[in-house]
Amino acid sequence: MPALLPRVKTTLSIVAHRRVRGWLDGEYRSVFHGKSHDFDDLRPYVPGDEIRDIDWKATARHGSPLTKRYIASRKQAVMIVVDSGRDLAAVSASGEPKRDLAIQAAGVLGYLAHRHGDQVGLVTGDASGSALVPLGGTEGHLERLLQIIHARASLEGSPSDFVGQLDYVARRFRRRMLLVVISDDQALAGTGHGTGGTGGASSASGANARTQSTPGAPASDLRPLLRRLHAQHEMIWVSIADADLVAATPRGAELLDVQTFGELPEFLRRDPQVRREYAERATAQKTETRDILDRIGIASTRIESTRDVVPKLFRLLERHNHAGR
Amino acid sequence: MELSFWWMPLLWAFVIAGVLALAFVLTRRRMRRRPARAAVPVAHTERLTALPAYRRALTRYRALLALSVAAVVVALAAAVVLSARPVAVSAYQPELRNRDIVLCLDVSGSMVDYDAEIVDTFSDLVDEFDGERIGLVLFNASAATAFPLTSDYAFVEKQLSELGDKMRNADEDYSFANGTLLGNGSSLIGDGLGSCVMRFDDIGQERSRSIILATDNFVAGEQIVTLPEAGEFATENDVTVYGINPGDVASKSYIKDLADEFEKVVADTGGAYYALDDPGAIPAIVGQIQSEQAADMTGATQIVKTDIPVWPIVAGLVGTAGLMFLGWRLKR
Repeated sequence: MPALLPRVKTTLSIVAHRRVRGWLDGEYRSVFHGKSHDFDDLRPYVPGDEIRDIDWKATARHGSPLTKRYIASRKQAVMIVVDSGRDLAAVSASGEPKRDLAIQAAGVLGYLAHRHGDQVGLVTGDASGSALVPLGGTEGHLERLLQIIHARASLEGSPSDFVGQLDYVARRFRRRMLLVVISDDQALAGTGHGTGGTGGASSASGANARTQSTPGAPASDLRPLLRRLHAQHEMIWVSIADADLVAATPRGAELLDVQTFGELPEFLRRDPQVRREYAERATAQKTETRDILDRIGIASTRIESTRDVVPKLFRLLERHNHAGR
Repeated sequence: MELSFWWMPLLWAFVIAGVLALAFVLTRRRMRRRPARAAVPVAHTERLTALPAYRRALTRYRALLALSVAAVVVALAAAVVLSARPVAVSAYQPELRNRDIVLCLDVSGSMVDYDAEIVDTFSDLVDEFDGERIGLVLFNASAATAFPLTSDYAFVEKQLSELGDKMRNADEDYSFANGTLLGNGSSLIGDGLGSCVMRFDDIGQERSRSIILATDNFVAGEQIVTLPEAGEFATENDVTVYGINPGDVASKSYIKDLADEFEKVVADTGGAYYALDDPGAIPAIVGQIQSEQAADMTGATQIVKTDIPVWPIVAGLVGTAGLMFLGWRLKR
């Protein structure tokens, strides 16, 4: 298994040139509230630093903005929450495996945390249960964490259980952390899309024998759980864009539902009426997810491809920091 | 309706059951291997499957699949029925159409009117002939073959109608009778009938042979064979002689003996004898001879099996066409 972290670093250095990287660092630093007030030293301002940290007097003397740096009273904790069931082994909107995008996103944020001396942990799992990789601060730890996501997310694995992972976080941790939730295009409001929604696909291809409950699709409303988590932790939300279900596939390959292994017959996917409704629904879904999270106060982004990862995460941190609080 | 190969459906049943079992096993094995290599794994298909339009499309899809199955069943059923070869069985009594008829006409002066009528009647009858052969012999002192036994009906009809016209104008042109006056005397009836009997070829073949002999049996000269002798010769060769005698009427009682002799000869060969005065009665007599023969000549009852493939073929075509259309609809 090739190491995953170098790829993350490469992505960072290719996509984000130095200035952007500085910004990323600034935005990342500002994520945490409740800093210690032990003043350490001054350093030049970089965009993304909090305005209230600017030392105006020193700035006036110096001629360019300077911000105060404080001694971190303790290390911050970043907890990456990702469901590693079969949903993650599916294909994303760009055709890359969703797993790869999730690893890139987790890697970039984890690496930022690592560079700031913060600790990174991982809650991952599927319908068969959740696993915790405790907080750690080394690059090796981060690499191991990414490897775990990579190894667990396969088509041979268990079905997904996203809610299960959030439940686990809610029950397990007392300490305030930065929760990086990596989700996908599932409905958060539980607007009836979850229960038995895949039945049509499975029975159409005669895979009735495989019909089962779909733990990965939340049948219930996730909002109360999210509100509770948001009250306890800092939260940022990364949605990995799911594949377009009505787009043409290479060589007309069938689409396979990862939960039920039922096929989506091409005949149904090319129906003009279905395509129209799907397009409407997909747009509505995107807005809906974002609105729900905005209303709770969670900054969110939707990543469609590897190239998206760094710029979108940057904007995500920016939005998180400037959210009214 | 009956099936020629009654065991065909059984064979089909075995083959179809075998194919279905094989398909079932292969499908099961493929499903156990789960993710197909070529398939694209996607998550949250409820984004698509929960759409009302998808539900409607799914209903349509299932209907098309059901119709396809129905089309396959129809085509297959048609194939099964066709391969079993359905036949209609009927019994029928064949009317033998293997008659040879020689018209044996005495062309002595008194007979010409009657001859013309006989010729005309046969000219009309030729239309109905199918398989029969007809020949024409004219005799007086000697016998001349106008045309031998043939089934070339166009030719026969042409010959007969031409001859009929000539006979009606016999006063001007008697050339149609050329070659009939080479014997010793005239109206040598026995020689004429004997010659006519000799016109039948293919003696070995199983055919019905009959002669329609029109004469008044008024012999004037020295015959080689007498009429009774010629009659025996006909019987030996299985030839039936039908006699038409315009001379056998009360007004010509002086030839009563001749008429009796004629009638007896004809009766001995198994034929019928008609005495008449009026040429107009000829068509009726010929019709009578025809029907009398027809009664004798129906063959043994035969069982006939006729293929009736029309409905299975139509069903097969409809099924196959339907299947192709549905396949196109589903793949388009």
